[in-house]
Amino acid sequence: MNTGKKNFAHTLESMDFLKMDRRTFLKAVGAVGATAFLGTYKTEIVSALEFAETKIVWLHGAECTGCSESLLNGGNPDIVQAITKLNVNIAYHETLLAQQGIFVDGRAANTSELNSEILVDELIEEGNYILVVEGAIANGPDGSGRYCIIGNRTFKELFEKAAKNASAILAVGTCAAYGGINCAASAIEEITDFRGVDFKKEDQSKGMLQELGISKPVINIPGCPAHPDWILLTLGAVILGKIKIPDDLSSLLDKYGRPKVFFPSGHTVHENCPRRGFYDRGEFDTDISGDKCLWKLGCKAPYAHADCGLRKWNGGNSMCTQAGSPCIACVEPGFPDCARPLYVEAEDKGVLLGANIDNVSKAAVGAAALAAGAHAVRRMKGDE
Amino acid sequence: MKTRKNETVVERYTVLDRAAHTIHAFAMVLLILTGLKIYAGWDFMSFHNARALHMIMVPILLAVNWIIIPYNIFSSSKGGVRNKIEHFMDHYIFGPEDAKRTVAILKNFFGKGEYPAFSIYDKEEGHYKTKLHPVMKILIVLEGTALFLIAVSGIVLYKLDWALFGLPVASWILSIGDLIGPALGLSSLQFFRLLHLLMTYWFVFELVIHVGILEFDPHVWKYYKAIFWTGKEDLSDKHFVKVLNKSSKKTYQDNERSWSDAEKAPVKD
Repeated sequence: MNTGKKNFAHTLESMDFLKMDRRTFLKAVGAVGATAFLGTYKTEIVSALEFAETKIVWLHGAECTGCSESLLNGGNPDIVQAITKLNVNIAYHETLLAQQGIFVDGRAANTSELNSEILVDELIEEGNYILVVEGAIANGPDGSGRYCIIGNRTFKELFEKAAKNASAILAVGTCAAYGGINCAASAIEEITDFRGVDFKKEDQSKGMLQELGISKPVINIPGCPAHPDWILLTLGAVILGKIKIPDDLSSLLDKYGRPKVFFPSGHTVHENCPRRGFYDRGEFDTDISGDKCLWKLGCKAPYAHADCGLRKWNGGNSMCTQAGSPCIACVEPGFPDCARPLYVEAEDKGVLLGANIDNVSKAAVGAAALAAGAHAVRRMKGDE
Repeated sequence: MKTRKNETVVERYTVLDRAAHTIHAFAMVLLILTGLKIYAGWDFMSFHNARALHMIMVPILLAVNWIIIPYNIFSSSKGGVRNKIEHFMDHYIFGPEDAKRTVAILKNFFGKGEYPAFSIYDKEEGHYKTKLHPVMKILIVLEGTALFLIAVSGIVLYKLDWALFGLPVASWILSIGDLIGPALGLSSLQFFRLLHLLMTYWFVFELVIHVGILEFDPHVWKYYKAIFWTGKEDLSDKHFVKVLNKSSKKTYQDNERSWSDAEKAPVKD
C-alpha cells in the first residue's frame, strides 16, 4: 500500500465505523480497497456481525467458473478471511460444496447432507438469502431453457425458484449480468436465447427476470472475470447494511445496474491506464510486444467503464493493459459484440455491410481530391 | 445594396458575413487538425495542447454557426417572419432552379452549353434574389447537420457526465446511442466516437469539394476576394452573374417562383 493509502487508512482508524454513512463507507472501501478497510475495522465488523449470519446461495448457469476462480484468487482478504469477517454462510456453491446430485430412478435421493439438489431446494424453501448468479440463463429453445440443464431440471427453472425467494440478487460476471459470450451475435444466438439476470446485452426488457415476470432488486458485477474486490466489497456493503436494498440502488447503480463506485459512468479505463502517457504523446504500439499505448492494437479501454487502472488486479499488482494485452471492455453490457474484433481498433471495425468508416471516409476524400484535380485541369484549360 | 462610386458594384457579403466565414474557416481547420492529431497521434504538437486548442475552438465554431450566421441570415432581409423565411429559402435551400443550374454546370464541364448564372441580383429592389452556387446550398444543409452531430458526439467524448445547468446532457446523449449502437455491434460511446470521426472526415470532404471544386475556377476567384476582404461584387463581370431589371425580372419570376409564391399558388383540380 502506498503512503497516501496508509495515511488514509490511519485516518479511518479514528472514525467510528458503525456511525459511518453509506457515502463515506463506499468512499473508504473504494479508496483503500477491501484489504485495508476490512483490516482497519476487523474488530468492529466482527463484533457487529456476531449476531448475524447471512446466507448466500450461489448458482452457476452457462459460464466457465472464472468469476468463482477470480473470487477464490482474491488475495488479501482471501475468501476465507472475508467469510469469517463478514460472517457469511456460503450455503450453496456448486463448485465448492461437498454434496453432489444423486438421483435414483430419476428422483433426488438421500438428504441435503449428501445431495446438492435437495440442499438447494431446502435453502430456497427457507428463504432469507442473497442469491448470487454466475453465468447466463438459457431461454431457448422456444422459451424452454433446455439448452442449460443442471441435474434433472433446466437452469431457468432453478433460477426462477431461487429468484422468487431471494432477498436480493447479485449477478456476478458479464454472463450473469448481460449474457456475455453466451449471447454474442452468432448463428445460434436466437435459438439458444441466453439471457442475463436483469438484462440481455443493453436491453433490460429482455432480462430473464422480466421474461419470468419476477420483480427483484439486482446488482450487476460484470467483468470477464469480475474483480474479487468488486464482488466482496459489494457483498460486504449489502451484508453490513451499508447498501439498503432496494432504497439505495437507484443512486448507487448506473443504468446497467453496476455499482458506480467500481464502474464509474463518467470515467473509462483509458483515463487511468498505466500506458496513458504514451497515448498523450501519440506513441502507439503496432505489435503486441511493445510498451506503448495499445489503442491501435484494438484496446477498448476508452470505451470501458471500470476502475481497473486504479484498483489493479492480482493483488493490486497489474492489469490487462499493463501486462501487454489490449483492454477488451469485458465489463460493458454489449461485450463481446461491442469489442469485436478484439484486437482491431474500433474505428477500423466494419459497421455497415462490413464497411470500415475510416477507409470509406479516406476513399471518399481521396475521390473528392481526384475530382478536384480533374476539375482544376478542365477549368484552367477552359480559361486559356 | 449599391456603392456610391460604381453603380455596378454591390455589397455581396457584409462585414459580419465575412468575419463569420473567416472565423468559421479558421476554427474548422484547427478543429480538424487538432482532432486528427488526437485520433492519429500525429506528433506536431503535444496531446494536451491539441486538446486545449480543440476545446477552445469548439465554442468559437458553435457561436459562429449557431448565433452569428443565423443572425446574419435573418437580419439581412426586411419584413416580417414570412419574408425572412422566404429569403432564407431562396438563398440557402436547394430548389428546382438550382437543380437545373447543377445540370447545366455539369454539361458545361463537359463542354456543352454556358455556365449558368447563380448570382442573381435584382437591380430594381437592390438586393440579391439568390447568390450561392447550387451545390453550395446542398453543402450548407449537410454541414449544418454534420455540425450538430459532431457537437453532440463531441460532448460525450469531452466528458461522459457533462451536464448543463444540472441537466445530465451527456447521459441523455449516451442513452440515445444505446438505441442505435447495439444494432451496429457498438457500444453507445463507440458509436459516438465513430460518428465524431465520420463527421470529421465529412468536413475534410466538404472542404475539398468547396475549395477544390466549387471555388477552383479562375472566374470564381473574385468571390474569394469578396468573402475574405472586400465583400463586394462587380455585376459588370458577367461570369455567374445575372442582373434582373424590370423586363428580365418578369421572365425570371415566371421561371423561378419563389417559395412564398409556391405557397400561394392555387391548387388545380
